[in-house]
Amino acid sequence: MDEFQEILEDFLIEAFEMIEQLDNDLIELENSPEDLDLLNRIFRVAHTIKGSSSFLNFDVLTHLTHHMEDVLNKARRGELVITPEVMDVVLESTDHMKALLEHIKETGSDEGALDVGPTVERLEAVLKGEAPKEAEEAPAAAAEPEPEPAEEEPDLSEMSEEEIEAEIERLLQERQEEDRKRREAKRKAEAAEVKPAESSGEPDLSDMSEEEIEAEIERLLKERQEEDRKKREAKRKAQEEAKAKAAQPREAKETAKSAPPATPKQKPQTKAAAPKERKASVEQTIRVDVKRLDDLMNLIGELVLGKNRLLKIYDDVEERYEGEQFLEELNQVVSSISLVTTDLQIAVMKTRMLPIGKVFNKFPRMVRDLSRELHKEIELVISGEETELDKSIVEEIGDPLVHIIRNSCDHGIETPEERVAKGKPAKGTVQLKAYNEGNHIIIEIVDDGKGLDPDMLKAKAMEKGLISEKEADQMSDKEAFMLIFKPGFSTAAKVTNVSGRGVGMDVVKSNIEKLNGIIEVDSEMDKGTTLKLKIPLTLAIIQSLLVSVQEEYYAVPLASVLETVRITPDEIQSVEGRSVLRLRDEVLPLVHLADIFDVERVFKMGEHAYVVIIGLAESKLGVIVDSLVGQEEIVIKSLGEYLKGIEGIAGATIRGDGRVTLIVDVGALMNMAKSVKSTLQNLESQEAVREKNSPADYNILIVDDSKTDRTIMRKALEPLGISITEATNGVEALNIMKDGSKSFDAALVDIEMPRMDGYTLASEIRKFNKFKQVPLIAVTSRTSRSDRLRGVEVGMTEYITKPYTPEYLMNVVARNINLDAEQRS
Amino acid sequence: MSTQLEQVLKKQQQQQKAPLETDIENIIQLVGFMVGDEEFAVPILGIQEIIKPIEYTRVPKTPPYVLGVFNLRGSVLPLIDLRMKFGLSRSKENEDTRYMVIKHNDEIAGFVIDRLTQAMRIPESAIDPAPETIHDEQNLIYGVGKQEEKLVSILNVEALLKRDF
Repeated sequence: MDEFQEILEDFLIEAFEMIEQLDNDLIELENSPEDLDLLNRIFRVAHTIKGSSSFLNFDVLTHLTHHMEDVLNKARRGELVITPEVMDVVLESTDHMKALLEHIKETGSDEGALDVGPTVERLEAVLKGEAPKEAEEAPAAAAEPEPEPAEEEPDLSEMSEEEIEAEIERLLQERQEEDRKRREAKRKAEAAEVKPAESSGEPDLSDMSEEEIEAEIERLLKERQEEDRKKREAKRKAQEEAKAKAAQPREAKETAKSAPPATPKQKPQTKAAAPKERKASVEQTIRVDVKRLDDLMNLIGELVLGKNRLLKIYDDVEERYEGEQFLEELNQVVSSISLVTTDLQIAVMKTRMLPIGKVFNKFPRMVRDLSRELHKEIELVISGEETELDKSIVEEIGDPLVHIIRNSCDHGIETPEERVAKGKPAKGTVQLKAYNEGNHIIIEIVDDGKGLDPDMLKAKAMEKGLISEKEADQMSDKEAFMLIFKPGFSTAAKVTNVSGRGVGMDVVKSNIEKLNGIIEVDSEMDKGTTLKLKIPLTLAIIQSLLVSVQEEYYAVPLASVLETVRITPDEIQSVEGRSVLRLRDEVLPLVHLADIFDVERVFKMGEHAYVVIIGLAESKLGVIVDSLVGQEEIVIKSLGEYLKGIEGIAGATIRGDGRVTLIVDVGALMNMAKSVKSTLQNLESQEAVREKNSPADYNILIVDDSKTDRTIMRKALEPLGISITEATNGVEALNIMKDGSKSFDAALVDIEMPRMDGYTLASEIRKFNKFKQVPLIAVTSRTSRSDRLRGVEVGMTEYITKPYTPEYLMNVVARNINLDAEQRS
Repeated sequence: MSTQLEQVLKKQQQQQKAPLETDIENIIQLVGFMVGDEEFAVPILGIQEIIKPIEYTRVPKTPPYVLGVFNLRGSVLPLIDLRMKFGLSRSKENEDTRYMVIKHNDEIAGFVIDRLTQAMRIPESAIDPAPETIHDEQNLIYGVGKQEEKLVSILNVEALLKRDF
């Protein structure tokens, strides 16, 4: 049973591969019915599938392909002209064939899938009248070439024993060669996969046992000697000799056939089969389960994250141990690992690449059917089908393209009469182009049809209530073109079953956006329409722009970022309650990312704002962020079941420092931005200033990883009578401060601490509005000028070097929190 | 000496026997923890691991009890504050705070709890269905387990992991 299953799987894989090519060949055939190569190729597919399916007992499929084969065979021999009508029938049977194969794939049987009766009848009708039905194996027999021996026979009598031996060897080889050639010729004619069962039916030399061959040689030799003797005796010349030559191979063949097949697996046979295999697999490939590739891709993703992390750690280490010897070595290792990781990533990505031709293949057939159905003349011109992109994208891109091409054929291309009236050739053209552009692949669908009418589109959209009159007035032509992607928008006056059901184009748009792609439409009345899809090569790992908003980082897919600009707050203008930015000759809507995501604004707004201009299709939006962090390669991870589908968030990634960063969904962001009102005013946090009556009302935060140091500080400050809170590192300290349960009047900060050092802590604290004035006192044994300078840069108020006297510390703290001498009592 | 040994052996035998007897009844192993002033428990099989608090990233447009997402060895998991989920004030992180990573089928999330208490074994017979007076639309409580001197609310893992926004 397992063996059968294995054969079945092989059969299905093979059959689907052949069928993929079949559709294209058939379309081409219609254009050039004389092309014998094509016909042969098509015939072979039908023949092979018939052969295998009868072997596997798929009777329905055998029945159908048998008739197809007959029709094609007739066409092949020039007895039948391929007319569009004949083609329809053939295509129909191809469809049935596909359906049956699908059914077999799912259920393991071809019974009850569909009724092929009518199709078979039509096939028979095509066959009838012209010639009686041919024997099915006819082509194989006819194509078999007769072996033709032509070499000169050397005279045996003049040979020595060794020479005779050699001659025998030569003859035997010749025979084997002939045999092999014949077998190959037959195989070629049938064009079927070599099936050992098939070829073993015909016994040949290779099927003989050692003794039999020995005997055969003996016999042949005698025969030849006999002949030679006669020859010498009679002194007859050419005539006689020719006869002998002609007789020999025939005899050889006969003896070979009479010999009973013994051990079938012998060297000569495998030797004979080998050259053919080598010929068939010029490209050396192996089939790999897609899941394995996916797993590999995931692992690479992890590796990229690890690499990012390593780079980040290296940066930290470099900062801390400047000028140390081992840094150079570390640097070398880090850069070589990052280089190899990048190469590895590219290599694995390439294994997942498929030519887009895989998708394009089905379109010639589709356009052909459409043009017949719509009574239009349409030619599909495909270019760039060898352009490669990730498998997952190839799978996703098919449906959108089907919709677009259908639309072009249905709405774009006019009827031949209309076209002629407009002075255009009766035959319309739809071009399908694919090419690379940087990290993207561009797919263009260009038709030379009637084009889009922006005014009509607007009118239609208003009629359907999709846009208001005011919106329509403000709309540019390009924006009007984009209306075709609105849900519920259909421009076809009459609804056909091809398109115009009002679904389709909006689905196209969302599908393309799912792939992080962009659609552009360009059109000119009576000239045609161009749709341009810009799609990233791969989905799993993308380039992103990291931006920071308040405490969080967000990753914006770089593909959607048009540019970034730095502006001052006065450049932000307000129009109808919305913020806009005038950028060169454009006016862009402007929103703060924090407003879109309802993030509480705890940080101050600087004197500059950074604006990331994002673009999707025709719309652009300026997004204000607090700062630009940089460009980074990120691995997209899902947020999981629980959080999936949050508006505006496309996923998450883990960054070099192990933190999670959210990836912005640019498409959703654009929509969300529409409902955000202008809220760009600065929100100053209104912290109620509490009255301080006694020293105990003053709160001091001590941040140090050493317990001893903390105790020393605590002891030193005890005389002041103030409240003291301790934290063991920067992260903890920051959390305590953010927590807000206590408001601190000052913080004593050690510099060297695990998890977050004092410099980082200081700069983090200074980001908050409410902590802007809190004195930060560095307490450290680092005394160099550069250390002090750095302390000032990050916002330290004072710098105390260890060791210090308790009085000194007390005084500094008291001064910084303005503790009056009298309060100190 | 030998009597001592015998005693020890006897004791061991008794210990081995004891669980066997109770095994006839279905025993549920639970991990108990505090959220606010109340003790809760979840079946031990629903827990993937329990970790100390780590940094998390806030996720916009989610209810307040969804604190954000965190990185558990390369996986991005949601973090849910059980105190807020149960209508209490937000947890203050201290050294007893833990993230309990709970998994059910493919759904997985971290939950902030105030403190672990103990692992417990409760026979199924000692678990009563949640009292009907508890108005509980979300079905969060699976039942109430009776122990010697106290009651513990057993949480429904599936309901915990169900998104309700």
